Amino acid sequence: MSDGIPNYLDYPWRRRGLDHDRFLHRNLPQAKPTVWPGKARVALWIAVHVAEFPMDMPRAPFVAPGGVDRPYPSYWDYTQRDYGNRVGIYRLMRVLDQRGLRATALLNGAVATRYPALAAEIAASQWEVAAAGVDMGRLHHGGLAEAEERALVKQAVGALRGAFAGKIRGWHSPAHSESMRTLDLVAEAGLDYVADWINDDMPYPVTTSAGKLTAMPLAWDLSDQHLLFQQHMDTAEFVEQVLRAFKTLYAEAAETGSGRILTLTITPWLMGQPHRIRALAAMLDRLLEPVGVWPATGAEIVDAWRASN
Amino acid sequence: MLAEPGHYDYAPYSGRPRIVWPGGARIAVWLAPNIEHYELEPPDNPRKTPWPRPVPDVLNYSHRDYGNRVGFWRMADVMARHGVRGSVSLNVAVCDHYPEIIERCCALGWELFSHGTYNTRYFYDLSEDQQRAVIADSRETILKYSGQSLDGWLTPAITNDETTQHVLAEEGIKYTLDMVHDDQPMPVKVRNGRLISVPYSLEVNDVPLFQNRNTPVERYTAMVKAQFDQLYAEGVESGTVMCLPLHPFLIGQPQRIAALDEALAHIVAHDGVWLATGREIAAWYTEHYYDVFSKWLAAGTPGGRR
Repeated sequence: MSDGIPNYLDYPWRRRGLDHDRFLHRNLPQAKPTVWPGKARVALWIAVHVAEFPMDMPRAPFVAPGGVDRPYPSYWDYTQRDYGNRVGIYRLMRVLDQRGLRATALLNGAVATRYPALAAEIAASQWEVAAAGVDMGRLHHGGLAEAEERALVKQAVGALRGAFAGKIRGWHSPAHSESMRTLDLVAEAGLDYVADWINDDMPYPVTTSAGKLTAMPLAWDLSDQHLLFQQHMDTAEFVEQVLRAFKTLYAEAAETGSGRILTLTITPWLMGQPHRIRALAAMLDRLLEPVGVWPATGAEIVDAWRASN
Repeated sequence: MLAEPGHYDYAPYSGRPRIVWPGGARIAVWLAPNIEHYELEPPDNPRKTPWPRPVPDVLNYSHRDYGNRVGFWRMADVMARHGVRGSVSLNVAVCDHYPEIIERCCALGWELFSHGTYNTRYFYDLSEDQQRAVIADSRETILKYSGQSLDGWLTPAITNDETTQHVLAEEGIKYTLDMVHDDQPMPVKVRNGRLISVPYSLEVNDVPLFQNRNTPVERYTAMVKAQFDQLYAEGVESGTVMCLPLHPFLIGQPQRIAALDEALAHIVAHDGVWLATGREIAAWYTEHYYDVFSKWLAAGTPGGRR
């Protein structure tokens, strides 16, 4: 018979609200209604992961989804991801340009440094650029020393500030992974919104040691990486899921009088493949059909949400 | 280690005493929303690591948090629209963290039963005294926030230890969901007292279907309907139980919520369906069939087609 586990039934955070102090619990139906520009029902945020997966990336503490899966040197993994930066993203840019859509690139600093031609194209497309860490092998996680993590944030943001004229405002940690300090360091670096936590459909304020951030809902359960890559769903079914989500959010916005956000989280090495790109184009056309859809970048959505709240 | 749970004897799905549900219903359908809190910094357990990534596992933690902020409310609205109550598999600390969720459940006339304190506090390696302490905490917390008695139990993450069912019975729990060995309630063999199992499901359960396999939404609806149709058909011979477990962080996502709407519309359109709670199913079975089944089991399960 077991003697039990000492102190296992101590509950230090059992209290009203969450078990941390970063933000307050909020029940979405009780949130203040958000009014989008033009009284749009649904903001369409297209967020594109633009990433560098080093072939020699560390395998600890874990490998980011899409990271090396096979023994070194895995040309299989490396070149399939790199395809996105060489070919796939240009296909995405064309499809978006044709529809007058601008995405937010969640950009690893290493991509801007390694591929200035790509950075120039992204800038020419007037996409928003958000910092997404240095590369997919440099994870932010609980085992990282503070100085080391601060240097990573600085390097990532610095690379983008060097490559792009506009202000860098957004942050996404590679693989949605953070340490307890990441949010503080991101605010300290002068950024003002973060897209890592997948706990809401709408923005909310986050507290840090260096001021406030706004959390943006970057879809993960509905992202192409999760559905197409990790869970092997086929393209048609992925499209169906996005359209279903849109339908729910569009109806909810009408019922509640509060705008909603559909975040289309896509990845050039997945959605930029020849066999998928037409499905993406057709899906975008479907999403743009109804009245009351407001395509916007992350920063534009953050500003509109703040103005309304 | 044990080679089998030891809580039940073999009982063929043939020749069983006939079950008839209230009003002559042939199937009892119950919905078990799992309303949970997973801790950001849970303690270590020798047999199970709470998070796949190092703490803080922001991705997985915040995915679950979605259920309490957004998914629950969507799910509750759909259930209310169909007049279907929930029997909440509740991490009871949710009462302290998010009392407004509990208020909504109570306003809808839902049952609360215990799914432990947090979903990151496992029963693996707990002493019997520690298990009792958790059960007592659940009993007191549920009573305090809802006025309800604690009748049902599902061990957090189904991490029960060998002794858990005995402890449950001794603590006055009436039904357990830790075993998915049957489509009808069954007596559970315990060292003291009386306990029954009520069917739960790991088949038509949104965690294995959406989280582990990402079943397409329309396949999920088709599976839930098929599960219902078959158990409804079999219910002519003897009453069956269908449990639909739900997790708001999964079923409450905007791409999935319509699947629940469609499945419930199908179920409530049938006659002869008892839309029950876990407590009501357990009480009916215990009152009318516990002794009948116990005798049948003791007699060696006579009456089949053998």
